[in-house]
Amino acid sequence: MVIEAGTAEDLASALRQASELGHAVVIRGAGTKADWGRPPQRVDRTLCTRRLNRILAHEHGDLTATIEAGAALAVVNASLASAGQWLPLDPPFADRATIGGILATNDSGPLRQRFGTPRDLVIGVQLATADGVLARAGGRVVKNVAGYDLSKLVAGSFGSLAAIVSATFKLAPLPKTTRTLIATAPDLDVLAQIVRDVMASQLEPIAFEMQTGNAAASRTIVMLRFASTPAAVDAQIAAASGLASLKASAPVVIEGDDEPARWREHAEGIWDAPGAVVRASWLPANVATVMRELQRIAGERRGLIADGGTSVIGRAGVGAGLIRVGGDSRDQAAFVDELRRSSAFGNVIIVRGSAELKAMIDVWGAQGDRERLFASLKQALDPKGVLNAGRGPL
Amino acid sequence: MIDRAFLDDLRCIVGDDGVVTDPLELLTYECDALPHLRASPGAVVLPRSAADVQQIVRLCARAHVPFVPRGHGTGLSGGALPVAGGVVIALSRLNRVLDVDIPNQRVTVEPGVTNLEITRQVAPFGYYYAPDPSSQQVCSIGGNVAENSGGAHCLKYGFTTHHVLALDAVLANGDLVRIGGTFADTPGPDLIGLIVGSEGTLAVVTSITVRILRRPERVQTLLAAFDTIEAGGEVVSDIIGAGIIPAAVEMMDALAIRAAEAAVHPNFPQSDTVLIVELDGPSAEVEALFDIVEQTCRARGARSIEVARDEAQRARIWKGRKAAFAAMGRVSPNYYVQDGVVPRTRLPEVLNRIRQLEARSGLRIGNVFHAGDGNLHPLICYDERVPGEADRAVEVAAEILSYCIDAGGSLTGEHGIGADKSAYMPQMFSADDLALMQRVRAAFDPDGLCNPGKVFPTPRLCGEVPGPYREHPLEKAGVAERW
Repeated sequence: MVIEAGTAEDLASALRQASELGHAVVIRGAGTKADWGRPPQRVDRTLCTRRLNRILAHEHGDLTATIEAGAALAVVNASLASAGQWLPLDPPFADRATIGGILATNDSGPLRQRFGTPRDLVIGVQLATADGVLARAGGRVVKNVAGYDLSKLVAGSFGSLAAIVSATFKLAPLPKTTRTLIATAPDLDVLAQIVRDVMASQLEPIAFEMQTGNAAASRTIVMLRFASTPAAVDAQIAAASGLASLKASAPVVIEGDDEPARWREHAEGIWDAPGAVVRASWLPANVATVMRELQRIAGERRGLIADGGTSVIGRAGVGAGLIRVGGDSRDQAAFVDELRRSSAFGNVIIVRGSAELKAMIDVWGAQGDRERLFASLKQALDPKGVLNAGRGPL
Repeated sequence: MIDRAFLDDLRCIVGDDGVVTDPLELLTYECDALPHLRASPGAVVLPRSAADVQQIVRLCARAHVPFVPRGHGTGLSGGALPVAGGVVIALSRLNRVLDVDIPNQRVTVEPGVTNLEITRQVAPFGYYYAPDPSSQQVCSIGGNVAENSGGAHCLKYGFTTHHVLALDAVLANGDLVRIGGTFADTPGPDLIGLIVGSEGTLAVVTSITVRILRRPERVQTLLAAFDTIEAGGEVVSDIIGAGIIPAAVEMMDALAIRAAEAAVHPNFPQSDTVLIVELDGPSAEVEALFDIVEQTCRARGARSIEVARDEAQRARIWKGRKAAFAAMGRVSPNYYVQDGVVPRTRLPEVLNRIRQLEARSGLRIGNVFHAGDGNLHPLICYDERVPGEADRAVEVAAEILSYCIDAGGSLTGEHGIGADKSAYMPQMFSADDLALMQRVRAAFDPDGLCNPGKVFPTPRLCGEVPGPYREHPLEKAGVAERW
C-alpha cells in the first residue's frame, strides 16, 4: 500500500499506525534511489513524500530555506534563483531527486569540493519518529549549538531512524560567472601531479573532478570549475592553466551553454551505462596508486575487460567517487570483494546492482565497531523495526 | 560513590600522579570558565592514553560513578562542571600530535592539543585550521569538538563539525569506537555530526582528525564607523544581498568600543558602531568584492573607513575586537555575557529591544557580535556590591535570550548549553523534541553517567542558576581572551 502524506501530521500518524500494526515501512520521495541498499525484506507500506513539497520559508536575507522532504531539488533551486540564491547540491538525478532523499542518503556531486555534502548544509530538521511523534532539532539560524544536531544523524541513515518531514538549509549566493577547465592527463603520474598541484595551490575551484571511461587506459580527464566574478574566474583559469602538470595535459576552457551540458554529461554518463555502480573512497594524494590498484583488480577479471572496462568518476580533491563495473554478477562481486580487501580503498559500497549481485555480497560491507552503535541507535529510535525494511546500513 | 578501593583502582590505571584527590588541588577543577557554577569532584583522573580512558570509564560504569570529560576548562557554559563527588576525566595529558598529512590536508591529534597548535603545526606549509574561537591559544581541540566551537571566521568556513574527519571515542561502556576515518563517506548516519557539539554527553573523544585549509591568496580587512547600529546592520544586509560571503563580519557598539579603547588602544573611531569586514580568497575576487563592500559602507553613511594596509594594521583591528570582552572590566566592575543568535535580518529589531531593556533595567549593556551570522554577545554590566544587581543581570540575560527565541533564533551560537542554559531549553524545544534527543543519548549512555546534568533541563539544585560572568583565572593571568 502506498500512502501519500499531505501534511507532517499525516506522515506521523501513518507511521504511528504502522508501528501499532507492526508493519514494515519504506519512505519514498521521487524513487530515484529506490533500488539502493539491500533488497527490502518485506514492505507493507510505502510512505510517499511527494505531496509534502512546499518551500516553507525562504529567508533570502538570512540565506536560509526550510523545505519539505518531498520537494524536488531542481524545483527548489528554480525558486531560490529568483532571489539569486541556491542550495548548492548536485547529486545524481538532481532533476528529480527530493530534498528528503538527498539528505537521508547524504548524497552529493561535484559541488562537494566547495560546498560539502547535505550534512554540511543542513541546519535543522523536523522528523517523524517511527512511533509517530513529530520532533525538531537544530533550528533556522546557521549558527546554533543548542541540543543534539539530529539533522546530521539522519544524514546517511537511509530512512532507518526516522522520517524526514522538512529540513532547513543554509544557502549560497548564485555565482555570477562559472567557467571550466578540462584537461586530459596522459598517464597516472601526471594525474597524481595535477591533484597534488591543485590541492597545494591557492586555487578555489567549486568542483575538481576526474573521469575515465576506461580505467585500464590510464588517460584521465580532469575538470576544474571556477565560480566568482568574471575577472576572478579568468585569473583562476589562467593560474590553473599555468600549473606545469595541467599545461602538459592540453587544457581547454569551456564556458557558456557548453559548460552545463558538459557537466551533465560528466555526471550522468556513469549511470547511463549498464553494469553495477560502486562507491569508494581513497586518499586524494594517493590517486596514482589507487588507479593502478583499480587496474590490477579489474585486469584480473576478463569479464570486466570484455564488458567495456571499468569507468570512474571521482571527486579528485576529496578522494571519493563512483566506479562502474561491467561483467556478470560473479565478476562484479569479486571486484567489490577485492576493492574491500585493498588498503588503497575504503567505504566500498554497492550503489546500483542486480539482486543477484546483492545476494552474493553485502551492499554495505562490514561496519566494524560501529555495528553495535548502529544497533543501539536503531533500538532507541525504531525498536519495532518499522522503518527501512532492512535495506541498511542500520 | 567513590571509596578507597575505587581510588586504588584508578591509581592502578594511571599511577599515583594521575589521580588528584587533594582538596586544594581539586579547586582548579571545580569549574570551567563559567566560575559561578561550581562543584567539587571526588577525584580528578589524568589518563595518558585511550586505553587509560577506557579502563577509567569501565571502572566508573561498574561502580556507577558519573564522569565528566574536561579539556582545558575554557568553556563558557559550564559544560565541564563536575558532578559533586564524581570523577573528572581531565584530558590534558592526551596532548600528542599523532599525524600531520600535508598532501591529504589533515592532522590527527589527541584531545588535549590546543586549537592553535594545529595551525602552528601546518603553518610552515601554508595551511591553517579554520575554526578560530577567541580562546584558541589555550582551548583544547577536544573541548572544541564537545562544543562545536566556531569563531569569527565561521561565517564563511563553518564550525568544528565541518572540519572533523574522524574521531576515536570511548563510549559509556568503555568501548573504543572509530567514527569517520581515513576515507570519506563512512556509511550510515553521520555520527561525527552527532557527537560534535554533544557537549561531552555521548562519549569521551580520544583522538581527532581534522582537515586543514590552504591559506587564502588574499585577505582584506576594513573597519567602518557608523552613527547608528542600524546603519551598520544595513551594511551587513547589503553585503550579503550582493552575494558576498565575507570571511568575517563583526560589530561593536559605543560601550564596547570605549572599553576596548581603554584596554588595548586599538584607536577605533569613537562612534556609535564600528563594523569590521574581512574578505579572503583569490586576489582578483577579493579586490572586486572589497570595492563593493567599501562602496556599501559609504552609501550607508560611514563616518570613516579604515582599510588595513598590512598584517600589523589588521592585527590591531582584530585586537580591538578580541579584547572587547575582557575590556568590559575597564568600564564596569562586573559583567555577564550571553551567546544568543537571531536571524541576521532581525538584528536591528532585537538590538532595539535590548536598548529598551537597557533603559528599563538600569543596567548598561554592551554589544559585541558576529553580525554576519546574527550571533549576539550582549555584555551586561553590573556591580555585585550593589544588592540585587547581580540577580538583575541574570534576569536581563534571560530576557535577551527570550528575544532571540521570539525572533526565531537560538539560545547559543557557540558557547554551548552546558549547565548554564539547560533550564532554558524548553523555550526552544518542545517536550517531544527533547525526548527524542534523550532517546539518542540513552542509546550511547543508558545509565546517564557521561557528563550528566548538561544540555537537558533538570530540576535545578540550590544555587545552580544561570549567573553573571566573573573573570576566569586564565583571563586574569592574561593568557586567554574571549569575545
